[in-house]
Amino acid sequence: MLWALALAGCAAAALTFAVAFASDHVSDALVDAALLDWIVLPYVLAGVVAWWRRPESRFGPLMVAAGFGMFLSSLQWANWALPYTIGLAFDLLPAVLFIHVFLAFPGGRLEGRAERALVAAGYFAAVGLQLVKMLLGGGAPDNLLGVVDELAAANTVEDVQLFALSAISLAAIPLLVARRVRSGRPLRRWTELLVDSFAVGLVMIAVLLVAGSFGWSSFETIRRITFVTIGLSPVAFLIGLLSARLARSTVADLLVQLHADPTPSELPALFARALRDPSLTLAYWLPQYETWADLDGHPVTLPADRATTMIERDGVRLAALVHDRSLNDEPELLDAVSAAAGIALENGRLQAELRARLEELRGSRERVIEASQQERQRLERNLHDGAQQRLIALSLDLSMLENRLGGDPEARAQIDQARQEIAQSLEELRAVAHGLHPAVVSGHGLAVALESLAARAPVPVRLSVELEERVDEQLEVAAYYVVSESLANIGKHAQASSATIAVRRGNGQLVVEIVDDGIGGADSEAGSGLRGLADRVEALDGRLRVWTPHGGGTRVRAEMPCG
Amino acid sequence: MRVAIAEDSVLLREGVARLLDDAGFEVVAKCGDANDLMLKVRSYQLDIVIVDIRLPPTHSDEGLQAALEIRANHPDVSVLVLSQYVELGLALKLLSDSAESVGYLLKDRISDVDDFVAAVRRVANGGSAVDPNIVSTLLSRQREDDPLASLTPREREVLELMATGSSNQGIADKLVITLRAVEKYVSSIFGKLGLPSSGSESRRVLAVLTFLRS
Repeated sequence: MLWALALAGCAAAALTFAVAFASDHVSDALVDAALLDWIVLPYVLAGVVAWWRRPESRFGPLMVAAGFGMFLSSLQWANWALPYTIGLAFDLLPAVLFIHVFLAFPGGRLEGRAERALVAAGYFAAVGLQLVKMLLGGGAPDNLLGVVDELAAANTVEDVQLFALSAISLAAIPLLVARRVRSGRPLRRWTELLVDSFAVGLVMIAVLLVAGSFGWSSFETIRRITFVTIGLSPVAFLIGLLSARLARSTVADLLVQLHADPTPSELPALFARALRDPSLTLAYWLPQYETWADLDGHPVTLPADRATTMIERDGVRLAALVHDRSLNDEPELLDAVSAAAGIALENGRLQAELRARLEELRGSRERVIEASQQERQRLERNLHDGAQQRLIALSLDLSMLENRLGGDPEARAQIDQARQEIAQSLEELRAVAHGLHPAVVSGHGLAVALESLAARAPVPVRLSVELEERVDEQLEVAAYYVVSESLANIGKHAQASSATIAVRRGNGQLVVEIVDDGIGGADSEAGSGLRGLADRVEALDGRLRVWTPHGGGTRVRAEMPCG
Repeated sequence: MRVAIAEDSVLLREGVARLLDDAGFEVVAKCGDANDLMLKVRSYQLDIVIVDIRLPPTHSDEGLQAALEIRANHPDVSVLVLSQYVELGLALKLLSDSAESVGYLLKDRISDVDDFVAAVRRVANGGSAVDPNIVSTLLSRQREDDPLASLTPREREVLELMATGSSNQGIADKLVITLRAVEKYVSSIFGKLGLPSSGSESRRVLAVLTFLRS
């Protein structure tokens, strides 16, 4: 079918020559016929190619129509009345067809209301008014449609036609420019070139029509230049198709690169190169979370102002390419890249999912630790405000009772005994409360709290706290536990003769370091409490490291981000 | 003696007020929070305030801040801080400049009525009171070469009492020795530790604490 169309195009081109040479009213048959075919042939052929490549697009058929429309207009060169009349009827049609083609690029449809109105007006002026003109006797004597002989009226109609079409051509230029601006980044040079050639074509059509209506002497020259210009557009279009074809060879490169097992983080760059879109990004679909995510597992939303191409594997959605809208003009390329991407993206998706899970896990660990911390704090507070206060008040009451009792030594001794018991209970409660939550840390900060730890340490300790202001309470509590646990370990295992505690803030980190000069070789995993400390520190996004070479002392270092 | 008490537990506040009243103090204000205390400090001629370190609204360090503010801006008002835990760091903060007219005691000490009243009176009169827990923490601190080792057990006892703020007479009463004997021990201790023998009793508290801390 398409072959037939192409052949018909060639036949039409040949026929144009025949008609031109046989014509008794064509001044320069060779030049005129050649110029006409310069438009007919490329439009028909480029249209056929476009039709073949993208059967779903209307752009190919439209181009073919423009080519044949041009051919039909050439029939007015004929010496016989019937073809002459047909040719005359289509005299101005090609101008509107070209405007239609330009505005319908690249999808083949007129997208805006303005475009549709403009083209409809154009067809009315070019065909509707043409018939009116011919009925009025314009184009006599061979015009078979001439009913009356109102030449003056026919001329007026013609002027209206020419001015209207000229205005329509000029009005189409801003629409074209707006589309070019909308279509995104200047990535596809041939697309730009094509749109530019459209614009020049429109200008030339407008000039030509005005020249025709004023009967300028240079009309012939302008007509030839216009024809040459209009013929350039399908040539540019063919070049564009060819370059898109060349782009498909980058898919082959992509396949080779994918074969070399790139890491998921390298993938976007590879796709960007294959699709020639440096702005390209990837989003992975995480079915468990029903969300799109980047490689780090952070949720992302697909931007509405960019085009996306879904990538599936065995019917399961894997990822989306987020790219420039202009890439939608090359669906074959997108299809090829998506098909090649499948396996490699599966790895990336797994990585994104893993990271998302880690993130979730980290969050829940943080929440668990924080919840237990808050609960401990609440219990400590309850002890402090409740039992401890009451016991002290009770002990005070007993003392005052004792004073009032006077000289009964047995009763006094009993009261004294009771007070001793209360003092003992208070001591135990204090230990429990402190074990639950070191209130001094949240109340007065790390520097104050560490003084007691250092003073009660099992070995002489040098303490240095370089904090200009307090840091987040959770960090302080964690740091406190790191120090107290490390000191306890020194007492139990290290056989050290001295130790240093250093707390400082640097590079957005709270750094806590405890160094002793003991025997080293501490078991950082088993039972020593270091594992619990590491959990606490890591839940705050920090890390705990322990160096403990045999005979070389032990160094415990916690680093926690503190904003 | 005019006293103000800041303590959010009504039970304890009333208990302390009653015992001070019995001991002849004039309790002119009983406050539930630090703001109220500061208001009373500004409006009444007070000799001493007794303040809980943990007061509303956040129960973190409002009491300590009030105490530090009174120390800084109302030098004629003595401050005795009470707490359910005594922390060396807080004692150092409270006594950072001087040990005059200041005290820091564990709340439990209230029930040793006589000692407590004596401590309140001492602080109100410009002396100091440091909780024995803090002093014993300092004394038992591990040191690389311990100068305290050269002290006799008796001298250690005297040093301990001295550090809590006791006067020589107080030490004499406690250890049941003569005032003259106490003075001898004190000068011997200062000699052994290489401290300049200082004048007032509260000044020597600070000297001893500073020495013990380092």
